[in-house]
Amino acid sequence: MNDTFHIKTLHDLPLAAAKLAAKINQGDIVVLYGTMGAGKTTFVKEVCQCMNVVDTVNSPSYAIVNEYSTKNGQTIYHFDFYRIKNVIEAFDFGYEDYFYSGNTCFVEWPERVAEIMPDDIVAVNIQLQNDNTRIITF
Amino acid sequence: MSITILGIESSCDDTSAAVIRDGVILSNVVAGQDVHITYGGVVPELASRAHQQSVVPVVDAAIKAAGIDCSELSAVAFTRGPGLLGSLLVGSSFAKGLARALDIPIIDVNHLQAHVLALFIQQPDKKTDTPRFPFLCLLVSGGNSQIILVKSELDMEVIGQTIDDAAGEAFDKCAKIMGLPYPGGPLIDKYALDGDATKFEFAKPRMEGYNYSFSGLKTSFLYFLRDRLIENPDFIQQNLADLCASLQKTIIDILLNKLKKAAKDLNINQIAIAGGVSANSGLRNVLTQMAVKQRWEVFIPPVAYTTDNAAMVAITGYYRFIAGQFATYDMTPFSRTVI
Repeated sequence: MNDTFHIKTLHDLPLAAAKLAAKINQGDIVVLYGTMGAGKTTFVKEVCQCMNVVDTVNSPSYAIVNEYSTKNGQTIYHFDFYRIKNVIEAFDFGYEDYFYSGNTCFVEWPERVAEIMPDDIVAVNIQLQNDNTRIITF
Repeated sequence: MSITILGIESSCDDTSAAVIRDGVILSNVVAGQDVHITYGGVVPELASRAHQQSVVPVVDAAIKAAGIDCSELSAVAFTRGPGLLGSLLVGSSFAKGLARALDIPIIDVNHLQAHVLALFIQQPDKKTDTPRFPFLCLLVSGGNSQIILVKSELDMEVIGQTIDDAAGEAFDKCAKIMGLPYPGGPLIDKYALDGDATKFEFAKPRMEGYNYSFSGLKTSFLYFLRDRLIENPDFIQQNLADLCASLQKTIIDILLNKLKKAAKDLNINQIAIAGGVSANSGLRNVLTQMAVKQRWEVFIPPVAYTTDNAAMVAITGYYRFIAGQFATYDMTPFSRTVI
């Protein structure tokens, strides 16, 4: 059963984030679908806060991956495949070392590298509406 | 005795190697640019991974261009992080192997610290002015937007940073929204030259302290264009220069207002910029004007040292060598952003 949230303002985000955080088990690959500006990074930031991340969560678009630590010493990887042109680049930087590390991974723009996505993922959809609200489903 | 450092950078897209002797640059080679020429057009197929393909020819080209022999090297410096682990591993493994073969020390370098120390690279023929400590450095690139308080060569503190998108990313993503190719930052800079920077106004973030936020600007730019395009499908083409100029002005204002605040609060008049976005002509111009008004002394590194390059790794290695800060062979790369 999917959860759906209608996000009218940023104040509606923590509830959806808490719900997703509760759904995530350590080592899960959480992928986020949504157009540019839909709020993927903003949502990851909120979910990471629920998971007690101590680092600044910001956009990994340029770095491709950011690494964060949580209060209790867990590691979280935050990917953005926006700049990736083909799957070879993902192999080149060694994505397996992160995906199969046993640490939770958030992945933005997973559609760029659909063929390397594992079968058991947690999928999050963020749809930007014409009235600038968002529908988040996971 | 001279200190000669080989620097190797492989943290992100391009492999690069450079040689610095006593703080003076002897060579700086970036894969994909100079290698094909210096290596006679033949790059050996050593492995499938991009950095593995280029690290040997790039280092070889840097040594040759410096006109030295490997036996003259005092140490090998490599980027330890932050960056992509697979890419960093190529540079660090190669550095370790080469240093062991030459029986010289290895030095691990923080990529962000290296961006700042690029300001201290000296040219063989003329003296480059360097900032006095303490100074403030605005580090702006595709992945970073930070204000760094630099107390000495090896003592730095990040006093402000972006909480979402970097400034370079704001340029590139807004360019994408306008349908410009990636990376669009340099194109915005170019089109902005003919535009009216006061034509459009975009939302500026209200951030505490010295932190930045560019995500809201991206979203407001997106909404703005979406609404205008409903009324006029040719809106972007008809207003491209003004859009670019207005957007660029907004990003520069956001960047420099915080820098101005930090300089005032900390009573510092030595100001530097570093990172890829420091190549932006609009930023350079506004900063230069601001410097006159604020009585700042401004330092801007040559463009070649602002993007990812090994010269900055070598200069950092040079200062760490003097300080006796060496790496051990069991040191592993990291991708976490710390300075």
